[in-house]
Amino acid sequence: MTSSDRRSFLKGAAGAAAAFAFQPDLSASPRALNAPLRVGLIGAGRQGRAILGELGKFEDITIAAVCDSDARRLSSAKRRAPGAVFYAEHKAMLESEDQLDAVLIATPTHQHRSLCEDSLDAGKHVYCEAPLAHTLEDAKAIARAARAASGKFQTGMAGRANPVYSLARSFVRMGAIRDTLSMRSQFKKKTSWRTPTSDSARDKFLNWRLDPDVSLGLVGEVGTHHFDVLHWFTGQYPTSVRGTGELLAWKDGRKVADTVHCEFQFPGGVRSQWEASLGTSFEGEYSLLAGTMGTVKLAGTHAWMFKEADATTFEWEVYATRQQFHQDEGIILIAGATELAAQGKLKEGIGLPHPPLYYALENFFVAVGEDGEPCCSAEEGLRAAAVAIRAAEAIRTGAEVAIPETDFSLE
Amino acid sequence: MLVRLALHAMGTRFELVLEGDDDGPGAEAHLRAAGEVALAEVELVDTKLSLFRRDSLLSHIQRNAADQPVKVDPDTFALFELCAQVCETTGGSFDPTVAPLMRAYKLHDDKATTPLVTLEEAREQVGWKEHVELLADSHQVAFTAPGTALDLGGVAKGYALDLAIEVLRDAGITRALLHGGTSTIAAIGQPRGREGWPIALGADPDAPRVLLRDDCLAVSAPGARSVQHEGRRVDHVLDPRQGLPVQGALVAATLSRCAAEADAWSTALLVNADPKGLPPHMESLIGMTDAEGERVPTHWFHRPRITRTGPSGFCDIPQSRQAAPLQTV
Repeated sequence: MTSSDRRSFLKGAAGAAAAFAFQPDLSASPRALNAPLRVGLIGAGRQGRAILGELGKFEDITIAAVCDSDARRLSSAKRRAPGAVFYAEHKAMLESEDQLDAVLIATPTHQHRSLCEDSLDAGKHVYCEAPLAHTLEDAKAIARAARAASGKFQTGMAGRANPVYSLARSFVRMGAIRDTLSMRSQFKKKTSWRTPTSDSARDKFLNWRLDPDVSLGLVGEVGTHHFDVLHWFTGQYPTSVRGTGELLAWKDGRKVADTVHCEFQFPGGVRSQWEASLGTSFEGEYSLLAGTMGTVKLAGTHAWMFKEADATTFEWEVYATRQQFHQDEGIILIAGATELAAQGKLKEGIGLPHPPLYYALENFFVAVGEDGEPCCSAEEGLRAAAVAIRAAEAIRTGAEVAIPETDFSLE
Repeated sequence: MLVRLALHAMGTRFELVLEGDDDGPGAEAHLRAAGEVALAEVELVDTKLSLFRRDSLLSHIQRNAADQPVKVDPDTFALFELCAQVCETTGGSFDPTVAPLMRAYKLHDDKATTPLVTLEEAREQVGWKEHVELLADSHQVAFTAPGTALDLGGVAKGYALDLAIEVLRDAGITRALLHGGTSTIAAIGQPRGREGWPIALGADPDAPRVLLRDDCLAVSAPGARSVQHEGRRVDHVLDPRQGLPVQGALVAATLSRCAAEADAWSTALLVNADPKGLPPHMESLIGMTDAEGERVPTHWFHRPRITRTGPSGFCDIPQSRQAAPLQTV
């Protein structure tokens, strides 16, 4: 759609009606799956435990097996997955559990490749947390394996399955902020990012995020999710990146930066800034897309639209709930707003009924059960990982690093 | 080596102090990392059990449990079993189904996911035994009527501390003190060279003291927060049995190895100053007033390890609470 098409589209009442119609159906109760699924979880650390918590909400999902090479983690998972069989080694799990439908992978990033390949080889559907890999070679290998496999593959991106983000994206895609000028994402959390252990032999393994040999650091573990959201919203990928990474907050001998800034160049002159720090919690985590007619802010379970004064007024704005941020007023974007407005319950729709992780898992299970497409393919996972890998290179070298298109393709 | 960390959660501040046995390299980083994981556990409980977040597990249960049983994780199910047990033993003095009543009294603001109903309707909705079913085989919870809602404020801080303590022990921590809003406190071991972590029940120099060592203390007092309702001051603790603001004790403190249990029982004893049924491993202290609003000697139960340090033996009661004891609404 050209920009003049968009203008006339938005001017008409039909545009406003379409805005409403675009909103995804959002049921607060768990979706009934087509068939019960037996799943195995590999990795019972932080993310693995979060996954176990969300899995508990799905009536038709059985956690049949849990695998972790760390005995202490495995034993603490026993309480959380009472009916499961526990394994220290994933090959043993794949060999013994021939009834498993799907494998969920939440291990350290550098282990993803072999786990994905082995699970796909065993004929399982695979959900793998992001980033897919810490090297381009591994990320491409995973994407190739996923392409060749009969099972479904989903990269566990926090944004793509999020109903509020889908709604915000539909507005952006139909031109509500008009021409995108700049983008900005941040992650701020005051944390040492360490896993506690008094055993130095386990320390290197458990604190892999702080090991520069296998970790992309913040730009990989956190940034990948933000980069993917921007790719999904704009349909574009950056062409180059500059970045800096410093150790400012945690002077404890670590070598992975705790405070990072990156600037990505997008086609057409648009730039995207990315900032992360482990020394402050201020304003937490969010992404912004700023355009000539408005700005969209995305923050996990919530999203807002800030309109320029001269922007088109949507008919449904009379129903909208607004929130003040100092001098700016944001319209709160509510998934399923049409239905809620009809019931007079619009305010109850603010924020999602489940954490974003729930929707990512639900999307995967539905894709498996109904033979549909998962919301984030291995190839999209590869592209976000490639951007993070180039950003880490830019931080390491201090130079502007090109992101060639060949990074994004398997050919 | 001492490390302190804090977190804002559950509408209050959680704080934790960790002491290490050695001061070697990496000791501080280890203590801090362990503390962060423990506080992450508290944060997770907040996101799961908050009445004020639409994406919480509790809100999910409230949306669905009247239509169909809702499956919950084993930890949450264990918490519900504890709630059922304390509710039963205390004859309903502790009862999380008080949520609709809290909302009707405006003790919960508009952000609460509990629907707003009249006081009369809310009173009908209180009663765990009639309204909540726990299906142990399938780890499901079901509500027998629409409108049932749970306020876990009387137990969630303790529950969070129990999980945090477990994480700290797993990480090899041997000396720690954690508290949620100073009203629920849990201890691992004792500070180096001391017999326990000394806690005073109030700011008064004569306030009773307790030495905590590998156990938990919960203190409940009605005057901590209040709202105006029909021109009267309503304290934030309601008597679930009567559907009215609490008429019982001025302060109730309990000791247990389990912080959630201590928390639930301190709420129950504040509502009804009768420790009948208090499990033998627990201890309690209750501060009362007489009909004139004067403080009367503290009641002691079981094997009190709570020690009087001054001559009075009274708990430190907030002045405003002493001046205006609550009358029947």
